[in-house]
Amino acid sequence: MPFRDFREFIDTLDKTVDVVHIKQEVDWDLEVGAIGRRAYEIQGPAVLFEKVKDYPGFSIFGGSLGTFRRVAIAMELDPETPVKELYAEYERRINQPIKPVVVEDGPCKQNIIVGDDVDLYSLPTPYIHEGDGGRYIGTWAFEVTQDPDTGWTNWGMYRFMIHNKRLIVGWPRYSSHLGIMLHGKYVPQKRPMPIALVLGADPLCHMVATAPLPINADEADYAGGLRQEPVELVKCETSDLLVPANSEIVIEGEVYPDRTAQEGPFGEYPGYRMEGAKNGVLWRVKAITYRNSPIFTMISLGVPPDDSSIAASLTAALAMKRRLIRHDIPITEVYVPPYGVTHIVVVGVKSGGNDVARQIKDVLTARRADVNKIMVVDDDVDPFDFDQVIHAFATKCHPTRGIFCEDVEAPRGNALTPCYTAQERRAYKGAIALFDCTWPPERDKRNEVPVKNTFDMMFPKELKEKVVANWETFGFKENK
Amino acid sequence: MKKEYLTFIPDIKDLIENQEVKLTIKDLTPGPCKYDARIVKAILSSDPRRLPEGDVLWVRSWTGVLYPQPWAIKILGELEETEAGLPHGETLKALR
Repeated sequence: MPFRDFREFIDTLDKTVDVVHIKQEVDWDLEVGAIGRRAYEIQGPAVLFEKVKDYPGFSIFGGSLGTFRRVAIAMELDPETPVKELYAEYERRINQPIKPVVVEDGPCKQNIIVGDDVDLYSLPTPYIHEGDGGRYIGTWAFEVTQDPDTGWTNWGMYRFMIHNKRLIVGWPRYSSHLGIMLHGKYVPQKRPMPIALVLGADPLCHMVATAPLPINADEADYAGGLRQEPVELVKCETSDLLVPANSEIVIEGEVYPDRTAQEGPFGEYPGYRMEGAKNGVLWRVKAITYRNSPIFTMISLGVPPDDSSIAASLTAALAMKRRLIRHDIPITEVYVPPYGVTHIVVVGVKSGGNDVARQIKDVLTARRADVNKIMVVDDDVDPFDFDQVIHAFATKCHPTRGIFCEDVEAPRGNALTPCYTAQERRAYKGAIALFDCTWPPERDKRNEVPVKNTFDMMFPKELKEKVVANWETFGFKENK
Repeated sequence: MKKEYLTFIPDIKDLIENQEVKLTIKDLTPGPCKYDARIVKAILSSDPRRLPEGDVLWVRSWTGVLYPQPWAIKILGELEETEAGLPHGETLKALR
């Protein structure tokens, strides 16, 4: 059975000793962010802050999916499930979406505040990093918006901060699904866009909100697939948007098509704080609903690993894999290493060469070039094993014939790429580097392709079996 | 007791002294409303001694790096809580 709500997930983390409950009072102003960040950097447990200064009755939770172990727990797998198996299970489930069900009521409606009573400062929104532009209410939360013509409902994870007691301003990328919806449908008609911000849903709902699914794909269906049970949704108080009924906190509002406010800066997912925006995406809050004793979910973003880099490792990699398979490219695996923050991807292929590598580059950068470095490796290399990947890069990638660099025209560039200039980021310009670490297929395999020196490839089968069988008798302790 | 505010600016040269300017500031008064944003018209000075009736204005760069010396700010009035403009306005301008 999947977790019914976020609280059941925390209960399980208690049983597996993957969460620390901090009972002493902590300050929402930097202290929560500092503790959360350090916990990530030591790859420690998730953290439940049970007593937050100024906010009796509220708690804050950080680090839901900050390790692959916790991702496995969220998916109800053995916590020790290897990363490659997690990828395979995620892929299996995401390919079997399950439609959500709509319910009449839910725990997120236990407290309803609407109209003039709305006050964002009633929530324990942390000021996360020193130097941030404000208190970020949308970090490990997801936004729900809907296309007014097609009904496509997007869940996306974008940064949003408090502007004042009734206004939230954020910076979903212009090329994000929210940006496409806003500028494609609402801004031209000068219509406000209904929006809901969801905190503390089932962790897999948050995870799927990080997934770069195709335009017109409803993330709720894929969350159902990941959970292997439908997500229960309930209607918002002030719009027709549907949100997970068991969420801890839901904030409803409308995005202005013609008003704006200053936003940022913010310590972002690539591990750097980059510049703010003069014209953020601004919305007026119309209602706040929440459970009794609500748990505010957050992430102290930074250098990996954290929830963002770990979740996106799976969601981005499998989205790329689906696209490559759809284009009939002979791939084996796709891996997005967490420390690569979706800027680097490793693609394994059955048969390599420049042409295949370029095809991969073209597919992965067609609409949006979030990734800026692509490494293509042959099928004798495990893309999940970075030692093997570096060895292939060092030995098989020709410095002039194996590296291809080109500019990415606006607006396909990733505006959160630290190595770009601020001007490039703002204009969504970018670049892509392709590293072809495969043998050219035209080379004669018998005479021209060097032979790899490994235990597996350099010795007769019978001898290998004998060595393995006698391994511990030689004095070795482990026979992996 | 002087109040303290914070502002973020793309370029320190954007802070014009001794004349009325419009800027977004964050209120640093301790408590649950800390970091509340306001758009104000104000007089600024890089030397607080030259604006003795002013409050404290801390200045951070567009990437959030703090300038070590605070400025002084005398708030003349609050403006609307939002500004006219399109979301992603800078990007739309850059893409033109």
